[in-house]
Amino acid sequence: MTEISARRDLSTLEIPTDAWTKPFWDATAEGRLLLPQCGACHTFRWPPGPFCPACRSQHTQWQPAGQGLIYSFTIIRAKDQPPTVPALIEFPEAGNIRLIAAIVDTSLDAIVIGAKVKQNWAKAGDTNVPVFTI
Amino acid sequence: MNQEPAIVGIGATPYYFRGESLPQTKHELIGKAVIAAADDAGLPITAIDGIAGYASGVIEPGQLTEMLGLPELNFAALIAAQGGGSAGVLDLAALAIQTGRAHTVLCLGACQQSTNRYGVTFANMAATPDNVWASAAGLQGPGQTMALLTRRHMHLYGTRREAFGEIVIASRQAASTRPTAIRRKPLSMDEYLAAPMLSDPLCRLDFCLETDGALAFIVTSAERARDLRQKPVHIAASAHGGARNWGRAFFWLNMPDEDFASTGSAHTARRLYAQAGITPQDIDVALLYDHFSPLVLMQLEDYGFCPRGEGGPFVESGAIRLGGSIPVNPHGGHLSEAYVIGMTHIREAVEQLRGTAINQIPNAKYALVSGGPAPIPLSGAILRSAA
Ligand SMILES: [Zn+2]
Repeated sequence: MTEISARRDLSTLEIPTDAWTKPFWDATAEGRLLLPQCGACHTFRWPPGPFCPACRSQHTQWQPAGQGLIYSFTIIRAKDQPPTVPALIEFPEAGNIRLIAAIVDTSLDAIVIGAKVKQNWAKAGDTNVPVFTI
Repeated sequence: MNQEPAIVGIGATPYYFRGESLPQTKHELIGKAVIAAADDAGLPITAIDGIAGYASGVIEPGQLTEMLGLPELNFAALIAAQGGGSAGVLDLAALAIQTGRAHTVLCLGACQQSTNRYGVTFANMAATPDNVWASAAGLQGPGQTMALLTRRHMHLYGTRREAFGEIVIASRQAASTRPTAIRRKPLSMDEYLAAPMLSDPLCRLDFCLETDGALAFIVTSAERARDLRQKPVHIAASAHGGARNWGRAFFWLNMPDEDFASTGSAHTARRLYAQAGITPQDIDVALLYDHFSPLVLMQLEDYGFCPRGEGGPFVESGAIRLGGSIPVNPHGGHLSEAYVIGMTHIREAVEQLRGTAINQIPNAKYALVSGGPAPIPLSGAILRSAA
């Protein structure tokens, strides 16, 4: 019997935002995963912030993340609890930005570096936290 | 350079398992270490006119001058880092001595984890717009993010858990002879491999100890050091800083792929070897910050003891044992002796170069001390025996 990665209840999680991260959470509230790109030189950056590290422009445009791949992950085991799997999901179509997000509802055997992931959501306050399955 | 700095005094409290230093206060621990360091140097404590520390919320220069009756401070600086800045206190002290800003600089580090457990750092931090992704994903502390780096290293280079086990076993073997060490019982590979996984691929034994203690070092000019009680240990090179590609490290996790499965220390290493005018082959003993065992392996690569990606086979060959090509942490390190945020590594480097270490490397001339693989600034130092 293979173990399944758990889905944590995030419904009461407070998501603090600022002017630069708010567009991310506004989009996830609508079920869209968007990542920040420089409007001047088109370099993607993470986390969302006030300047493009390549050209210092403040012009930002939000782009669809595209297909995500598992870059790395860890399996956290706490006593008497099902395993949880925080992971780094890399987005090759968005400048290889890596998002820290959990892989949920997935057989641990299937979680390997390089695997393609499917977008899913966990309700958090009045927005959604991106989570992934395989 | 007659203003070359030298370490002339070391002082330490006993090392306590987390919480067992109570009811002493943190400043009491620090004060005891400072008094011991001045005594070791043969200097009156009132000679101290500079303080160098790192910003772990521990060192408060104003409070120390009041508490210890230091007549005046001419230099007071903290490295803007936690464990990453540990060896960097020597860089600050060196700057103060080389410029003549101060004559007798106290370097300090301490921790009392009964009041602040570093292993759950993230859980103690309020969620911010920048870090909320980590808490939403269930990352609670540095060990879990180090596991992400470690798995990537295993994926890229075929590194095995046995290599991490060898690092822990070697540290335990070194600690077995040391009365100061908290974990002294020898460990077998079978026991290591059977230890419970906490954050796969890291098991419980890959995590360092949680301990309390304080250490202090007195730095002055090499010229003045000649007249003091102890054989001086020269600061041949010291550096703090780091490259943008490392950034906030495990708070960022977007380091470019070529830097991700590393410790970010290659930048520090290049600067240190250039400053000291030596190569990794000249280092006799390496005191590498070992909060998590896989990061020792990656530091061996970044500091040039083996090529990138070959840390696993290098460690498994026995190279880091006493008698190996580069003995690592003969004091038992954070994994087996005690965790005082890098300070015990400086102490061991000084004792090795004085020739008074318990697990003495014969004729040790150069010792490397690294600060923690952590957000910039990273730090390191190369110390040289006066002989
Ligand atoms: Zn740009």
